[in-house]
Amino acid sequence: MDTVPEVVERISLAFEAKGATVPREKISGKLNLLVSEFGIPLEEAERVVTNELMREYNLSPSSGAGAPAGQRAIRDLQTGEWVTVEGKVVSVSSPPIAAIAQSGIIADSTGAISFTIWAKANVPPLENWKWYRLEAAVVDEYRGVPKLNLHSGTKIQLLDDDRALMPSIIPIQSLKPGVGSIRAKFIQEWEPRHERMLQTGLLGDATGTMKFIIWKEENKEKLVLNTVYSIHYATVEEFNGRLSLNLTSAAYFPEEGEDIDVASSVGTDEIAGVIVHMGPGSGLIKRCPVEGCNKALSRYNECPIHEIQREFRWDLRITGVIDDGGEATNILVQRDIAEKLSGMTLDEAIALAENNPLGFDDVLDRMKNAVMGRYIRCRGSILDGTLLVRECTPTAFDPALHAALLNRAAPVPGGAPQ
Amino acid sequence: MNAERQSKNRQFRREPARRVFAAELREARLQFKDGDDEKSPSFVLLPSGERCNRIFLVGKMTQKDKRGDQNVFYTVRVEDPSGMFFINAGSYQEEAMRQIRQIEPGTFVAVIGKPTVRTTPDGAVFISVRAETVIPVDEATSLTWVLDAAARTLERLDHYGSTDDSRKAREFYTIDPVRQRQMVYDALVRIQP
Repeated sequence: MDTVPEVVERISLAFEAKGATVPREKISGKLNLLVSEFGIPLEEAERVVTNELMREYNLSPSSGAGAPAGQRAIRDLQTGEWVTVEGKVVSVSSPPIAAIAQSGIIADSTGAISFTIWAKANVPPLENWKWYRLEAAVVDEYRGVPKLNLHSGTKIQLLDDDRALMPSIIPIQSLKPGVGSIRAKFIQEWEPRHERMLQTGLLGDATGTMKFIIWKEENKEKLVLNTVYSIHYATVEEFNGRLSLNLTSAAYFPEEGEDIDVASSVGTDEIAGVIVHMGPGSGLIKRCPVEGCNKALSRYNECPIHEIQREFRWDLRITGVIDDGGEATNILVQRDIAEKLSGMTLDEAIALAENNPLGFDDVLDRMKNAVMGRYIRCRGSILDGTLLVRECTPTAFDPALHAALLNRAAPVPGGAPQ
Repeated sequence: MNAERQSKNRQFRREPARRVFAAELREARLQFKDGDDEKSPSFVLLPSGERCNRIFLVGKMTQKDKRGDQNVFYTVRVEDPSGMFFINAGSYQEEAMRQIRQIEPGTFVAVIGKPTVRTTPDGAVFISVRAETVIPVDEATSLTWVLDAAARTLERLDHYGSTDDSRKAREFYTIDPVRQRQMVYDALVRIQP
């Protein structure tokens, strides 16, 4: 694995700020050693290398050049602390509720954190892209995400100098609730479930994938599929133990002509076998139209939560069992793959169902005939014992396997008498 | 794997469909229940040393007969490179009956079903498969199945004598693993182009 050039750049800049020049090869060499040889997380490696070099060059290993005692690196802030930080405001957003005068993100060379200015604090709003020194700000937590609170006692000082600031780009795998910057490829676009949502889908880098959303806001641009982006200061949110990225307040730049290998964008679980069962939830189904619900309706258009629905959305899916001869595993196949596997499009299924009293059964029968009993390989992720299929390929007859099996089964010459 | 099975004992766990050649299934005689409950699953012990509650097979349908007046049921023969499977489907296998009705002999079919051992009035023991699902497939699928069944059978034979089920099989059946290995080999040779 190659060290991320941004990290080398950032360490180098930190030393230049203190008047020392460290060869980049030296920095990247030390980083490589820690990251590739010892498997130390990049974040931690950066800290170790910086401290080591600080000692070597006889510099004080504090986070900022000549920083007064008490000033803290944003990365190290802990909930409950009263802190002084110096950082650059990299995003401000309109307050969603009246009690908050302003919210945004402030960053230093070590990391970034959301800040909130409460209306009753009577503090003038911060300006985007300006450096500030904040004294006596309070770190607290909102929904598990650390936040910086600016209150009436916080001393806010605008700094005139514009220092160099490189966001700390980290692998998707290392993202934690809070604020993070990544370099990732937009690999899947999903249908927005809410009218205020501009775009949602999946981002991936070499270490993993993560869901993202962008809410509708003025001047917000959509991402272009299969393009690599540098995404600075996205909010990492946690819901039901899963992380997602909110890019609404983030800055993102396409990297023209760039490409990166995305790790297991389809999940890491794989089962090769045959579909031996397709449940009654398979085939053409109706989904509840209530925003964010999307549950399958019963035959009588009844949603388990929202009762009878007159309107609905059509969908095609497979809920069944894949069996490799040793184990039977539940699978859930969404529309695009169900269409490919069955050779029937959603529109064709709808036409069948609408023009024929037995249409639903007919669709299911045809799908069973096209899908079951064939050798396939499904990839995806297993959740609660069910494989959520993201990719499915047919398995062809393998002459090499045939030869290998013949060898394995062949009676040993001169062995036991036949 | 046994421990895993134990820990999930209370939770419903679908029995995997074992891959078995007709020649091996034909020799199976022992059917038993796992537990005293009326709903306990019933297993057939394969001579290669594994219990099966459900099997998956692919082959050519060579014969189809509709039987019974009041209670209509189908009997079907499906041929693999080692022999013949006897498949049936009655009114309790409504889906399989409907599927069989639409399939003509000569077609390759994939069958998912439960093996059952019956003793005929004259004392002969006969094993058949009660079909759950019968799907028309192409010949390539049947060839792939032969590889699958061969690999699974060889795997069972490799563990012969080291698992509870296979020790039980060694006590109960006279057929020896060498002969079974030969059967797998013959089936593989038969599908050579």
